[in-house]
Amino acid sequence: MSEQKLLEHNASPVQKRHMGLKASRTLSNTAIYVLLIAISIIWLVPFVCILLQSFRVESTWQVGYVIPQQWGLDNYYNLFKTDFPRWYTNTFISALVTAVLQTIIVLCMSYTLSRFRFKLRKPLMRLMLILGMFPGMLTMIILYRVLKDLGLTQANAVPGLILVYIASSGMGYYVSKGFFDTIPRSLDEAARVDGATRFQVLKKIILPLSKPIVIYTILTAFMGPWGDYVFAQYISFGTSSGMNVAVGLYRWLNKDQIAASYTMFCAGGVLVAIPVTVLFMCLQKYYVEGVTGGAVKG
Amino acid sequence: MASVKLTDVKKVYDNKVTAVHDFNLEIADKEFVVFVGPSGCGKSTTLRMIAGLEDISGGTVEIDGVVVNDLQPKDRDIAMVFQNYALYPHMTVYDNIAFSLRLKKMPEDQVYEKVTNAAEILGITEYLTRKPRALSGGQRQRVAIGRAMVRNAKVFLMDEPLSNLDAKLRNQMRAEIILLRQKLDTTFVYVTHDQTEAMTLGDRIVIMRDGIIEQVGTPTEVFEKPRNIFVAEFIGAPKMNLINTQLEVSGGKYYVSPFGARIEVSGEKGEELRQAGVAAQDVILGVRPEHMVLADANSEAAIPCTLEVNEMMGSELHLHVYTEDGTRLIVRVPTINLTLEQRKELVYGKKLYITFEGKVMHFFGKESNVNLIYG
Repeated sequence: MSEQKLLEHNASPVQKRHMGLKASRTLSNTAIYVLLIAISIIWLVPFVCILLQSFRVESTWQVGYVIPQQWGLDNYYNLFKTDFPRWYTNTFISALVTAVLQTIIVLCMSYTLSRFRFKLRKPLMRLMLILGMFPGMLTMIILYRVLKDLGLTQANAVPGLILVYIASSGMGYYVSKGFFDTIPRSLDEAARVDGATRFQVLKKIILPLSKPIVIYTILTAFMGPWGDYVFAQYISFGTSSGMNVAVGLYRWLNKDQIAASYTMFCAGGVLVAIPVTVLFMCLQKYYVEGVTGGAVKG
Repeated sequence: MASVKLTDVKKVYDNKVTAVHDFNLEIADKEFVVFVGPSGCGKSTTLRMIAGLEDISGGTVEIDGVVVNDLQPKDRDIAMVFQNYALYPHMTVYDNIAFSLRLKKMPEDQVYEKVTNAAEILGITEYLTRKPRALSGGQRQRVAIGRAMVRNAKVFLMDEPLSNLDAKLRNQMRAEIILLRQKLDTTFVYVTHDQTEAMTLGDRIVIMRDGIIEQVGTPTEVFEKPRNIFVAEFIGAPKMNLINTQLEVSGGKYYVSPFGARIEVSGEKGEELRQAGVAAQDVILGVRPEHMVLADANSEAAIPCTLEVNEMMGSELHLHVYTEDGTRLIVRVPTINLTLEQRKELVYGKKLYITFEGKVMHFFGKESNVNLIYG
């Protein structure tokens, strides 16, 4: 009998149960960690490969090894000789403007649906739920026609894209409305009696209490345009100056260009990842829970 | 400081439920009015209509002579304390109290003065830098009161501010509200379901049931001259005993004969009955538990009954008894009037005789439930 087994043999039933609990907890924790580490390695491999290839100087085409033989920033340098800065700016502007406008629209919409009671409130919510079930792609052809008539395609694709991104943003109210619903209404009422307008209530009471949801809304609003391919591809319609990074970079993967620009494509990919990573890192700390503690008797 | 006038105020919800029927009331400047009634009687709804937090379906609400029906709460110049405190959880106590002043764009030095002043009155100075979640229930309610205090509003509205506190703290805060009222010297409208709070705080009490005012009066009036059985039972604890009996007239004097006993309606009550011209009839007789006394078995006025429950309250006993026909009554007996032996005998099943004097009786119509003298 091993020492551990002996110990367990001599232990009282309570101790035994305790040990069993502790042992099983350690075991399950270990299993969870192993699983998570394995998953994150699988996840990280492509990113690491792209990062390494973006620093490779000796060949612009795919090679049979991962670690570059010759390191350098040539690929990044070359990027700036192409249309890449233009695409990058296009993407950044459309994502930024969309993030700001969409966040404002979504939060106002959610507040309205959470706090105001008007006749068509329920039908409106139901309508948006049903409309939301149709894939957005269905609208692609008609949207293109409309934007073309407005002169917002090809070289002018950025304002057109922003319009498309924010047009339906009110429909994304579910999450934040759900969160607002959990904030006691009496806080609104107290603030209104204290002399606040509805907008001041939203700004000074509701939003500070909803930081995680505001952050979530900003992030999703930014990420949509940042990673969009389909709409951007259609609306820029082959005009390089109206493209976003996803569309532009993808063109380098054509069979006549890939040999010369594969590592540059990787460098572009790394640059695309930077702002999103920074954004996540900055905003992550605002994911604080339990901000409503002590508001009302609970 | 201002008067409040409600004229035919009505509240009908979307589902056609009427919460408040034609509510008429004038609240004078600096008066303390308490709305009291069981839950769902419309008292909070009425208060919230004064505050502007509920739409008014009909009638008008005037504050200081101005109809405020269509004004937003922020434009009505009112202060309100909520049952659940409704403190802003992301702000410190100081910021909570300063919130309304800052919205008015008051200079920071004046804000500081007002907030610290209010905090001192309420004894919460040391908590000014804390967040609400680090406070106890009583402290939170003080902050809520402080928040309302600094506004110097025309009307001070309180929606069951003490119901979330434990009994001891409630008594303490009740006394503090009386003191606060003396300091602020403004118009108060206070909602509660607790008749003790209503009696101790109000200059006038508005007793409501199902959206209708049952009686408006001073605490003494509603206690001594309840207009109907609802008011009689609602005000006073334990509630008034009700006895089915006949009111008889004989030789210009009124008599009642509850459970075979014969008691003359004496003193002012007899005189009031005569003046009101009340005829002999079946009545519901109301007697408060504190007006019932233990009696001698030989007395003509003695009612035989059996003890069911003996509640020892400290300074007095609440004896729950039932008579021969099964009517349940409550008798309040001061402990000091009984010897230790007598108290020991008061156990389940003990036969007792009780009686009451003629001057403490209330008479209600058998069908109408309305007070025959004051109804």
